[in-house]
Amino acid sequence: MGLYKSKYTAKPLPPVDLPELRVVGKPLRRVDALAKAVGKTVYAGDFSMPGMLYAKVFRSTVPSARIKRLDVSKARALPGVACVLTAEDLPDGKLVTDIPGQTGQKVRKGSLTSVLARDRVRFVGEPIALVAAETLEIAEKALEMIEIEYEELPGVFDPLEAMKPGAPIVYEPDNIVARWKIRKGDVHAGMAEADLIIENTYRVPFVEHAYLEPEAGVAWVDERGVINIRVSTQVVEHFRSIAKAVGVPQNKIRTIGTMVGGGFGGKEDITVEIFLALLAKHTQRPVKLVYTREESMMSQSKRHPFIITHRTGVKRNGRIVAAEIDLVADSGAYPYLSPYVLLYAVVMATGPYRIPNVRVDGVAVATNNPFTSAFRGFGGPQAAFAYEQQMDAIAEALGMDPMEVRRINYLRTGDTNATGQVIESAAWLEETATRALEALGEKEPDRGSVKIGRGVASYFQSYGRITWLHDTSRAWVGVELDGTVVVRSGVPDLGAGQVNSLAQITAEVLGVPLDQVTVYSTDSALTPLAGTSTATRQLYMSGNAVYQAASAVRKVLLDRASKHFEEDPKDLDMAEGRIFVKHNPEQSISLAEMAQICAAEGLPLSNLALFRAPFTDPLDPENLQGRVFPDFTFGAQAVEVAVDTETGEITLLKSVACHDIGRAINRAAVEGQIEGGSSQGLGYALLEEYVMEEGIPKTVTLSEYLIPTSMDFPPTKAIVLESGSGKGPFGAKGIGEPSLTPAAAAVANAVADAIGVRIHELPITPEKVLEALKRIK
Amino acid sequence: MLPEFELLMPRTLSEALEMLTQAREGVAPIAGGTNLVVDMRGGRHRPSVLVNVAGLEELRGIRRENGHVVIGATTTVAELLEEPLIAEAAPVLWSAARVFANPLVRNRATVGGNLADASPAADTAPPLLVLDAEVQLTSKEGSRWVPLDEFFLGVRQTLRQPDELLTAIRFPVPPSGAVGGFYKLGLRKADAISVASVAVVVEVGEDGTCRKARIAMGAVAPRPIRAYEAEKLLEGRVLTPELVAEAAHLCAEATSPIDDIRASAAYRKHVVEVLARRLLSEERR
Ligand SMILES: Cc1cc2nc3c(=O)[nH]c(=O)nc-3n(C[C@H](O)[C@H](O)[C@H](O)COP(=O)(O)OP(=O)(O)OC[C@H]3O[C@@H](n4cnc5c(N)ncnc54)[C@H](O)[C@@H]3O)c2cc1C
Repeated sequence: MGLYKSKYTAKPLPPVDLPELRVVGKPLRRVDALAKAVGKTVYAGDFSMPGMLYAKVFRSTVPSARIKRLDVSKARALPGVACVLTAEDLPDGKLVTDIPGQTGQKVRKGSLTSVLARDRVRFVGEPIALVAAETLEIAEKALEMIEIEYEELPGVFDPLEAMKPGAPIVYEPDNIVARWKIRKGDVHAGMAEADLIIENTYRVPFVEHAYLEPEAGVAWVDERGVINIRVSTQVVEHFRSIAKAVGVPQNKIRTIGTMVGGGFGGKEDITVEIFLALLAKHTQRPVKLVYTREESMMSQSKRHPFIITHRTGVKRNGRIVAAEIDLVADSGAYPYLSPYVLLYAVVMATGPYRIPNVRVDGVAVATNNPFTSAFRGFGGPQAAFAYEQQMDAIAEALGMDPMEVRRINYLRTGDTNATGQVIESAAWLEETATRALEALGEKEPDRGSVKIGRGVASYFQSYGRITWLHDTSRAWVGVELDGTVVVRSGVPDLGAGQVNSLAQITAEVLGVPLDQVTVYSTDSALTPLAGTSTATRQLYMSGNAVYQAASAVRKVLLDRASKHFEEDPKDLDMAEGRIFVKHNPEQSISLAEMAQICAAEGLPLSNLALFRAPFTDPLDPENLQGRVFPDFTFGAQAVEVAVDTETGEITLLKSVACHDIGRAINRAAVEGQIEGGSSQGLGYALLEEYVMEEGIPKTVTLSEYLIPTSMDFPPTKAIVLESGSGKGPFGAKGIGEPSLTPAAAAVANAVADAIGVRIHELPITPEKVLEALKRIK
Repeated sequence: MLPEFELLMPRTLSEALEMLTQAREGVAPIAGGTNLVVDMRGGRHRPSVLVNVAGLEELRGIRRENGHVVIGATTTVAELLEEPLIAEAAPVLWSAARVFANPLVRNRATVGGNLADASPAADTAPPLLVLDAEVQLTSKEGSRWVPLDEFFLGVRQTLRQPDELLTAIRFPVPPSGAVGGFYKLGLRKADAISVASVAVVVEVGEDGTCRKARIAMGAVAPRPIRAYEAEKLLEGRVLTPELVAEAAHLCAEATSPIDDIRASAAYRKHVVEVLARRLLSEERR
């Protein structure tokens, strides 16, 4: 047994010319670190206001029903209750759960859903009424006094069932939420050419984000009549949809984002904002709403379960000649971002491999399960779990080394992927995979019934949004008269160091120490809109925007300094708060003095920059040929596991992740992302499953829904490669999502390597190991 | 949210017992609160009066007394780990404490609370069962010692009367030849509810025969249970691999597990046998 060699050696990296920088790339203490460490950061739930009311949400307890009767009169009459709102009390505002018109699809009926259910509920946890009261106790009491009668309707809980004729329709016109297809080359001819065809079906479950901080916020109406919402969110731009839903002009909603205690995609959709805005508007008082853990788990989005079937045609020499891939995603009760998650999974379904003939068919299907939407990786980890196990299955069928099969088929710079998009940046696939495997060292020997196995998974994952969404970001940079620097950017910081990166880039460009930069962020009214903290886009987008803005300010300063020193601006540089002549650093002036000179002469010491990603037109959903993303990150993870073949227990012994991140802006933050993403991915591999039974969630506490603890896995060793080839500032790519993507596939491959039988379904639990072993006995 | 309740803070044991007797329906002792508060938040338990026993001097401490190890009911799981007497005299209990919950919970969770709560998965129960432990139940009327094995009745049901407190746990100091082990199988490496657990203590004589065998199992029946048939099979015989395998099989036979979110009944039965066999085999060496 044992598919893998016991030792791998990496080849030297291709040469790259990356100049050493002064601030960028250094593992400096993040600007947000101290306040978090000492508990000074005021998270969304920590904030209170005088005279504030407490809100609660009344939710459905059945997965599919007509609301026959809803009576809130007793709750309204309860002393201390300020207001109870139902669908009857709302303007006809809709919650937009999709980005209509940008997927090449018509606006679907289900995409526009009522903010509160009016006559129909489609999943357990769907909001029906809102309460605001003087205390949380009263608000909870009021919830208990709301009377509701349901007429239960047949539901559908399995996407394959939901596609069958006669299945209950979750919402009109049918249960098909989205379809995407890739048609490249001639897949029939390709299969005919193949020596061997390998077919497997892979399944992944619902997964919960399980951030430390549940959804939370406070809203109030200010003296201008503006509804302010201070909220934990990945997207302050939602103020526009909130305005629509609440029925006020867009300039009457302001979202003030807080430091986010974990988002992972779960705070990409609107969560508490509309409820808060409605209650603040109705009561004209500040209102606070913080979800409980159970509520957060039950009512918010989940990662999409997928059923993915691969049929791969290969030549004896290991070359893949054709791939047919079918993907079915459970979209749950409302579309939300399902069309896009499906698109990502479809585009990445082949993996980072050069395959001339490809057919991919993806479909997202409505069910009466919780709605599914964004989750770190956005369809990428699901796709990777399938394509990377398929690569090992191919290696096994051909009797080849898994690394060798990959090497033969890896995409290289200049190749086109399945959608015909040219890979423009470095594609260090072999470089990352062999380094990850090499760093595992010698394989441990088996110990009796405990078998040791190792596995690798390569991946590619986009950074930046779909190019036909026409993404932009803005940033403002200004120098003060004492030489300190202010940055204004709408970037939400999810804890990944988004704000710090902007500070570190600005410090580099303007030659000031990191602590001289103050960043104001995440305010839809006062900071320039930077777009969403999603899609691994902020460093790429806002990093470039801030780089542009800082560079523009730098130009003003250097132009003026060039007059001062009578030197060409090219011969000047900025560091440590001074402007100096490169060939004679003694000749220098402080940034403060130069700023004062510029101010006196009316020169602009600030700049508002706009960065635009490449803009493309939507592709034909029938074949998807063309550019979909700005670029991709490439990398790999390798793990070694011990599998107890008698109890099925799996112990992760070693884990190494190697990613080409283009360029590290803050090395410690990059390593943090890799370790954290890996843990989340390893939890996906071995522990996590949000269990649904006929639409009823069974795992709504952290006692049943198991996320990894610090005891579960050894820390993932991060190997950070820098090709400098990314489209972000200083050649950076993105690592936020990619860090999670390969983990589960690597573990699955390692388990198969250890026990000689493949488990096609996540999570890989002890019981599944024993069942799999029974199959080969 | 936590429902409203009245919290009583007795200073002495007799005050606490008086409060328990006086209180109307719906009184509950509270020690670490790591079960009770969670249950109250979740609406599964709604006592209106809580009597805090955590501060009672009389219920604290671990000591050796008349050939017994006596553990005060409010001894925390962390204290079990710190006390050399436990590590020396009852490594099987120490092992269970080591894989109990997480460090934060271990600092609050008490042994008395773990037993009084009577979860089928309570992790101190199997080791204490194999140590032949007894629990002391005390009311205003006096105290009684009850074998732990008789104390557990069913899922979260015990012999304890509402006016009684669990005040201490004791077990005979095992002879020096006694060896044992505990294994907890959970779905993750820490802070997991047992899917199945097995505790074993055996005394093997100079001649290699097993003088005494105790095997107990958690999370495989409505209450933590002993494997009497397996124990009987082993006593008086040499622990050969064949005998151990047979005993392990009898352990599985003694279980009546359920299917739940964590594991199937079949899996539980299967792993109990594996774990029992392994623990007994280790003791042979
Ligand atoms: C995160 C977490 C992890 C956990 N992990 C584990 C684990 O790994 N293994 C495990 O076995 N348990 C675990 N538990 C459960 C719990 O921590 C233990 O059962 C603990 O020992 C209970 O003790 P306590 O002092 O907190 O009891 P409490 O919650 O105070 O009380 C529990 C019950 O016992 C009663 N009671 C308490 N003391 C007395 C007394 N002296 N006399 C009479 N009745 C009394 C109370 O009325 C209540 O009904 C975990 C709990 C949490 C929250």
